[in-house]
Amino acid sequence: MLTLTSPVETPLHRLRAGLKLAALALFTFALFWSVSPLWLGLALVLVIALYLMGGTTFARHGARMMRPLWPFIAVIALWHLWQDDLYGGAVVLLRMVAAVAAANLVTMTTRLSDMITVLERLARPLSPLLPPRRLALALALVIRFIPVLSERAAQLSLAYRARSGRAPGWRLFAPVALAALDDAECVAQALRARGGAG
Amino acid sequence: MTRPTTAATDGIVLTGACVTLTGRPVLHNLSLHLHEQRIGIIGRNGSGKSTLMRLMAGLIAPDHGTVRVEGVDPTRARKQMLSHLGILFQNPDHQILFPTVDEELAFGLLQMGVPKSDAQAQVTAHLARHGRSQWRGVSVATLSQGQRHWLCLQAVLLMQPRTILLDEPLAGLDLPTQTRLARAFAALPQRLITITHDPASLSGCDRVIWLEGGTVAADGPPAQVLPLFEAEMQRLGGLDADADLAG
Repeated sequence: MLTLTSPVETPLHRLRAGLKLAALALFTFALFWSVSPLWLGLALVLVIALYLMGGTTFARHGARMMRPLWPFIAVIALWHLWQDDLYGGAVVLLRMVAAVAAANLVTMTTRLSDMITVLERLARPLSPLLPPRRLALALALVIRFIPVLSERAAQLSLAYRARSGRAPGWRLFAPVALAALDDAECVAQALRARGGAG
Repeated sequence: MTRPTTAATDGIVLTGACVTLTGRPVLHNLSLHLHEQRIGIIGRNGSGKSTLMRLMAGLIAPDHGTVRVEGVDPTRARKQMLSHLGILFQNPDHQILFPTVDEELAFGLLQMGVPKSDAQAQVTAHLARHGRSQWRGVSVATLSQGQRHWLCLQAVLLMQPRTILLDEPLAGLDLPTQTRLARAFAALPQRLITITHDPASLSGCDRVIWLEGGTVAADGPPAQVLPLFEAEMQRLGGLDADADLAG
């Protein structure tokens, strides 16, 4: 999520995160409410236009982000071709592509910290149970330590293979879990050294 | 280099401090008054150096005796301690808590009660002052090891503590990074307490304390303590006696 924010500054970067998320929710709702390929096509054109507003580099990056969607598009297209339901297929595909593209666009133009601020505000009613700052800290820690832990797992995997010649597979689970606990202990200390979670 | 006007509460004062970890005594009856500007704590692995650091930082409490940092108990007055003492841990990956550079830098300020917008402004100004404005919003995962060390140091410096504890600050870094960091340390106005097993990095200190088996083996200027330490390490290295287990 973090590396997904585009370094190319677009006019959309300057909009407030809450506004963008609300607009995204409305847009997606409208997509699911509409059953006309024409309107859905127009919606997709609108999203593409917004991408192009950020320049061609930005738009090309946006197109690359859609890559994981291709297998689904292929399956859905084949299914509807086989069912001979071109109309239905067009509706589903346009809806899906427009919705994912719009969501990606918001992700690409919103800094993570702004996203978290919105989440904090939305979680405010829960504050007696869950202090919003704790929640924000927890989210940040998760995002921070995903790459650290995956690197740790990769190191342990290398250490295993260096003495075994086989891939460790599930055998890595316990050592990685223990290493994570060990790291967590150190991180807790560093957090305490800078004023704790409060 | 001792300043004659040192008050008894100035700096870090340990009085008869003892620490036992998992049933094993690690520090025995340690009494020290640390007030010099550059202090080195040297010792072998397992001599109690890191425990002493955690004790001074208030991350652990002594079983007996007291610890005072600028007159306050470091385990109790946590918020006050933030402006008294900062720690630079050995591994930046254990210290960096946030996914982006500016969040990491702003965190300590927020913890000290600085409003969010002020903290952001301070971070932006700080990065600009060090010619690193392009670091704003950058993912910490993309920084090099040396850059992460620098980030950890700046996160501590932004909180403007009077004393900074450095845990093996140069271990495992390549030579240019070591030189750069050492230069950054030398220029700091703060009191620095460096914990290391490398005598060479302590030659510029005002005072060196050699810790052995949880007690002070020698305490004095580097020219006096470091040769003794090195001679003993040479002697131990000559023996083939690394078979004893701790505990």
